[in-house]
Amino acid sequence: MSEHPQFEEIFDEYVLGALEGEEKRTLDAHLSTCAGCGRKLEEARERLALMAFAAPPTRPSPAVKDRLMRQVAAATRLRFTPAPVRKRSGFWGWGVPVFAVAAVVLAIITGFLAHRNALIEARLKTLEASEAQFMAAEKQERAGMARAQSIMDVLTSPATLKVSLVPAQAHPAPQGKAFFNPEKGLVFYAADLPQLPAGRTYQLWLVPTHGNPLSAGIFATDAQGNGEVLLPPLPRGVSAKAFAVTIEPAGGEPQPTGKKVLIGAVS
Amino acid sequence: MGESKAQLPGVPLHEEGRAADLDLIRRVAQGDESALSILYARYSGVVYSVANRVLRDTGAAEEVLQDIFYQLWGNAANYDAARGGLGGWLLVSARNRAIDRLRRRKPVDTATTEEVIPMACNLESSVAQSELMSRIRSAFDLLPPSQRQAVELAYFEGMTHSEIAQHTGEPLGTVKSRLRSALQSLRQVLKP
Repeated sequence: MSEHPQFEEIFDEYVLGALEGEEKRTLDAHLSTCAGCGRKLEEARERLALMAFAAPPTRPSPAVKDRLMRQVAAATRLRFTPAPVRKRSGFWGWGVPVFAVAAVVLAIITGFLAHRNALIEARLKTLEASEAQFMAAEKQERAGMARAQSIMDVLTSPATLKVSLVPAQAHPAPQGKAFFNPEKGLVFYAADLPQLPAGRTYQLWLVPTHGNPLSAGIFATDAQGNGEVLLPPLPRGVSAKAFAVTIEPAGGEPQPTGKKVLIGAVS
Repeated sequence: MGESKAQLPGVPLHEEGRAADLDLIRRVAQGDESALSILYARYSGVVYSVANRVLRDTGAAEEVLQDIFYQLWGNAANYDAARGGLGGWLLVSARNRAIDRLRRRKPVDTATTEEVIPMACNLESSVAQSELMSRIRSAFDLLPPSQRQAVELAYFEGMTHSEIAQHTGEPLGTVKSRLRSALQSLRQVLKP
């Protein structure tokens, strides 16, 4: 068996497609004989998959889903078009139904191509706008370095408590996760929270072991019901017993007054 | 797993949002459009974000997104769900197809591209995805700029070592060293 690679990172470079020439050939040859390194390659593929989360988060337009589901429905109709079971007849020698199916196929393909043409024209118009938007967004990203460091500190510090929040009542969908480090701060994510009516907001609370709940800030949710609170101002060194999310009037309240939607105790 | 419940059309069960990828892909293989819809809700955001960042073109990214899910619909019966890793497959496909389109080349190594990636981590919940995104984006932000550039050119542009060297004007040895350092730093973070 040829030698194992010197650097672990070579597997990542391989799955990235960055490896080339002699280095790539050598690794290819080695992989064909070494099961252990095959597993390392699989691990590198998993890391490649996760790198996707480094992309700036954007949402596709709802039109994409519409097009997808129409495409899916059309494919389903074709698949279940009953096959003609009758004598050969008609001008073409195969009978009408096959012709009808062919016409449907043609219509779908034509429709699809026409749609693609429309997409191409729309794309030409939006290309420059997208470019400008991305340049601006990337500038903003780089400006967030110090904040990124603070967030990393909270998420990765061994002293950080991880608290999962579950619905306070029997309503399965909303969920939340709080990462709290008394010295480094609080990072909180929520998902699947229902949209609130105007004049109401969600508010996050830290419930200390002694004393009244402390407000950790108000937050809004996006269309998907996701929300977050990152590094809110809190007194240092607080001992937390639990975290909770309530619904409060817009602007928040000094103490919780509204319904609890999420709660999680420090274990 | 659990028995499937009859449901009124248009009234989603809350539990649907929690259905495992494994169950959903099996339902897709049986022609269940609602299962595809849930998978789309779960993964379209990150699939689209990658394609959009690679292609810098919302129209092209939308086509990649639609193609990936349409292919999932067509091939679900062939998907070995027991091996797990649907999320991983979607994310690697998104990046690789976008790169292929960016570089206008035929998908070369489809065996590698299409391979199932058993993922140890949970990608199925929005909270897990939010956490991964925050953690991984922060880690990229923290890389020294030259290392960050090297890994972004490799990942988002699909460049080889020599292509990165040509693009940046740096010697090949320097590029390899920077990319390896970046990947070494990122290993700690690219974990479940």
